[in-house]
Amino acid sequence: MVVGLSDTDVAADAPAALPGDGLREGIIDALRRDIGDALVDTHLVPNDDLWIRVATGSWRAAAESLHAAGFDYFCYLSALDWMPSPYGRGEDDPTEPPPERSTEIKQGYAGGETRFQMLARLTDTTRHVGVTLKADVPDDMLAVDSWIPVYAGANWHERETHEMFGIGFNGHPDLRNIYLPTEFEGYPLRKDFPLLSRMVKPWPGIVDVEPMPLSDADGEAADAAAVRTGDSPPNDAVDPDVAPSDASGGEAVGDAEAAPAADAPPADDGGAS
Amino acid sequence: MGLVDRGRMPAPLTKLFNMGRSYSMWVYQWGLACCAIEMGAAFGSPRYDVMRLGVIPLPASPRQADLVVISGTVTDKMAPAIRRLYEQMPEPKYVISMGSCANCGGPYWDSYSVTKGVDQLIPVDVYVPGCPPRPEALLEGIVLLQQRIKNEDMGAKWRGEDYTPIVVGGGRIE
Repeated sequence: MVVGLSDTDVAADAPAALPGDGLREGIIDALRRDIGDALVDTHLVPNDDLWIRVATGSWRAAAESLHAAGFDYFCYLSALDWMPSPYGRGEDDPTEPPPERSTEIKQGYAGGETRFQMLARLTDTTRHVGVTLKADVPDDMLAVDSWIPVYAGANWHERETHEMFGIGFNGHPDLRNIYLPTEFEGYPLRKDFPLLSRMVKPWPGIVDVEPMPLSDADGEAADAAAVRTGDSPPNDAVDPDVAPSDASGGEAVGDAEAAPAADAPPADDGGAS
Repeated sequence: MGLVDRGRMPAPLTKLFNMGRSYSMWVYQWGLACCAIEMGAAFGSPRYDVMRLGVIPLPASPRQADLVVISGTVTDKMAPAIRRLYEQMPEPKYVISMGSCANCGGPYWDSYSVTKGVDQLIPVDVYVPGCPPRPEALLEGIVLLQQRIKNEDMGAKWRGEDYTPIVVGGGRIE
């Protein structure tokens, strides 16, 4: 879901000449007749798409209502973790502290109050209209009702959501892991799941960085490339370990060589590739 | 064949056996990801035609295979199956690790679910780098393996002596 796109932005982009979207407004009205105030919020892009957020307790009731209204095709079911990642990218230096960034949780279309949200997509194959259903998952009890009685295909989707996010499904007959090994610990798609490889090792691809062709016209890009590859002479194997010691001398040499380097083909720095 | 069982054979007989083994390798194709498509193209297509090297890429089961090509992303969930596959193969057996994923995890080096190289599970004889490797690289790996088999001491292989994997393209293993 696109975050930070308010209703007014979307409305400005939508074609103004078209009449209102009676089809999707009718879907909202029909669902509201069935589940009442449990329909918390909607986000309607006329003649395009529809998001509906329902209360947690009405997660299955909303599916039953929509199924009865003709939504016969279950696309997918998953969850969203809206918490910003507490980790940095860890590409250059694994000991580098993560960047300062907001820890505020901002939900997408149709709003929300909790860190985790359910997300599911249903399609009406006769009216050719789809709807995205969402529901908050309370932090103190990470569980919603299973959709298996309504859509049997939800079974494996809910197993995956369970192992990836740690969200339970009341009434699911068999919440074993589906993709992960049985003994796997943790919930990998949560934003606070640590990627341990990044903690102990810088991004391995960094040794393969080559200067872009023609990017050394002003000398700055050439300097950066020289420091990064240890300013090695051509055709020498680049050892990343010697890069820091050569980095200080690399700038002066890089300045002196900037002019001839602009003429020479930049392929010489590719010793590591 | 008691001589063969003890791994002590006369040199001419060893040479004959090795030549026979090297030119009749049955390759089990263990394709796990996109490298499997490349492996199929390298093994099955008339352009590259692996059978001209004396390699038969069509065994019905690992129990009939001399060589297995692990091509693609090895996941932790797949690891027990690969281990069992290797144990089902009869000795002498060889393993080619094809592609960056099977070699070291490749682009999924930081993934929560990908094994960081199939050599953590089974011993690898030939590493074929690339993402994916060219068909020529895979065939060169097979040719290099055949050259090694031709000069091999079966007793030493059985005892695990002098185990140094081959890297196609001459890279080094850290």
